[in-house]
Amino acid sequence: MARKAVKLTVATRRAMWGWVFVLPALIYFAVFSFYPIFNALWLSLHTKNPLSLRPPRFVGLRNYIDLLHSTSFWNSWKATGLFTLGTAIPLVVLSLLLATIIVSRLNFRRFFQLAFYAPAVIPSVVAAAVWLLLLDPRGIANQWVNFVLGLSGVDHKWLANPEMVRFSTTIVYLWEKLGFFTIIFIAGLGGIPQSVREAAHVDGAGGWQLYRYVTLPLLKPTTLLVSVMAMIFCMRTFATQYLFTQAGAPRESINVVTLGIYTTGIRDLQLGLANAMSIVLLVVMLVLSVLQFRLSGREG
Amino acid sequence: MATGSLRRRRAASGMPVVRRTAMESVVHALGWLVLVVALVLVLAPLAFMFIASFMPARDIMRMPFSWWPDSLFLDNFWQAIKGNDGKFIFPRAILNSVVVASSVALTTVLFSALAGYGLTKLKFRGSNIVFLLILSTLMVPFETVMIPLYVVVTGMGLQNSYAGLIIPFLLSAFGVFLMRQSLVTFPDELLDASRIDGASELGIFFRIVLPNMLPVMAVLGVLTFEQQWGNLIWPLLVVQTAELRTMPLYVVTFMEEKSTNEGAMVAVAALSSIPMLVIFFSLSQFFLKGANVFSAGKE
Repeated sequence: MARKAVKLTVATRRAMWGWVFVLPALIYFAVFSFYPIFNALWLSLHTKNPLSLRPPRFVGLRNYIDLLHSTSFWNSWKATGLFTLGTAIPLVVLSLLLATIIVSRLNFRRFFQLAFYAPAVIPSVVAAAVWLLLLDPRGIANQWVNFVLGLSGVDHKWLANPEMVRFSTTIVYLWEKLGFFTIIFIAGLGGIPQSVREAAHVDGAGGWQLYRYVTLPLLKPTTLLVSVMAMIFCMRTFATQYLFTQAGAPRESINVVTLGIYTTGIRDLQLGLANAMSIVLLVVMLVLSVLQFRLSGREG
Repeated sequence: MATGSLRRRRAASGMPVVRRTAMESVVHALGWLVLVVALVLVLAPLAFMFIASFMPARDIMRMPFSWWPDSLFLDNFWQAIKGNDGKFIFPRAILNSVVVASSVALTTVLFSALAGYGLTKLKFRGSNIVFLLILSTLMVPFETVMIPLYVVVTGMGLQNSYAGLIIPFLLSAFGVFLMRQSLVTFPDELLDASRIDGASELGIFFRIVLPNMLPVMAVLGVLTFEQQWGNLIWPLLVVQTAELRTMPLYVVTFMEEKSTNEGAMVAVAALSSIPMLVIFFSLSQFFLKGANVFSAGKE
């Protein structure tokens, strides 16, 4: 063996070591990423109850057809869609606004970055538990909103009204993720060469013009990236909705897709159906990711 | 609006400082207003959590909420720690979360570094395809594979065990990606010099590469720990017994128990948040860098 190893060229030996270094990762991704995906595809064409010993039974596309005819499936996509649009858009706009203001300040920049980011490190389920108290009929949300609107004693039913619950989950999510995206925008703004802005300034561009015609266009790659990332994040939301429904909030309006997959697969034990739902979610996410690459490719 | 830093540069380079127009001053002042309002709204829930944890339940729910408690009420914490059944499951849950999150952080950092190094510095035929394959899993969010993953893990007999909690997260595509990106610029001369000195590839990796990669490893480790510390959905799937509950899972069950009062609930929330907040404020540069990685990495 040893003699053989000496004969190998430096390049081959290095390549062999390359395989050795990469092998653990390859095995891991094969078992815990690729196998589950193909297994999900396979299982989505079968029915299987995890508690029964009977092998999965092939049913073709029936799970998918069932999904198309299921009102709860469409309802959960409505919940996810409304949540995603209703959260991602304000998230992008507000974090861009905050980043722009923070970058324009000479002092306290780091302080604001840390303060806005702090909620992101609180586990989402813990945050949701705290927000349950804030959104309580006797809670601070009612007190502050009534104070601002000049009302008194009005209960806005944050957790009781089906439409308000959607809004409440959006607020919680905005609160959690705002700092994260603000920091990404700050990095993006920092990446714009000073010389470009100075040149525009010399050419007579004022504050707003400079921002509108120089900064924003140069920031476009970051804005696109943040938008797609925010949408993907929002589509994956689970903990807030889960805790809110466990606490008795109306389920239907916040029964997002991830929650639907969980209830179908784990509570109702319909693995085939849950896998079909996962595959649909996966396809939507893949389309979004590809879109992201195409968009950033066109920019570059 | 973005002229503040410009002005500073002008001042630094000896150019005449342009005075703000009246309009610009108004915009600047409005900027401060927005920042301060946003700051109050963002910090209020955190402040509420810590202040309310020192209040008896009836004071927490009293209108209007008093931001300055009359006295320090410590009973909530005792109630939170001993739990409604007095079995002290909460400290156990925190411990479980620490074990799971640090194991995952350690393996993710180590294996991602190994793979990232192999893919950049020990190129082999097909290494680019392997990298693309790994990268493609970045597009597959955990929620879409959790049910099949659950089938795999129960098939291995690992449900309701630490191994079952940890194994699906041993490694991350993001980690491999991050490590590869930062290793591209690692000087080859250093590696070749050590090879000439007779160092083995493993020796080079552990003695030369790893010590030089500590900052990016810290970023990856911190982000991974944070993610696992808050992970609810996977423990929800695989954990069955109270002893194995992680902290997020405990928060859910504690909230659901009838005898839980608001004070104990908010104390559990505060105690669960403190470890992560301490890590955040003491290692803040890694968190900020971590967020930046996302924007820099994809461009």
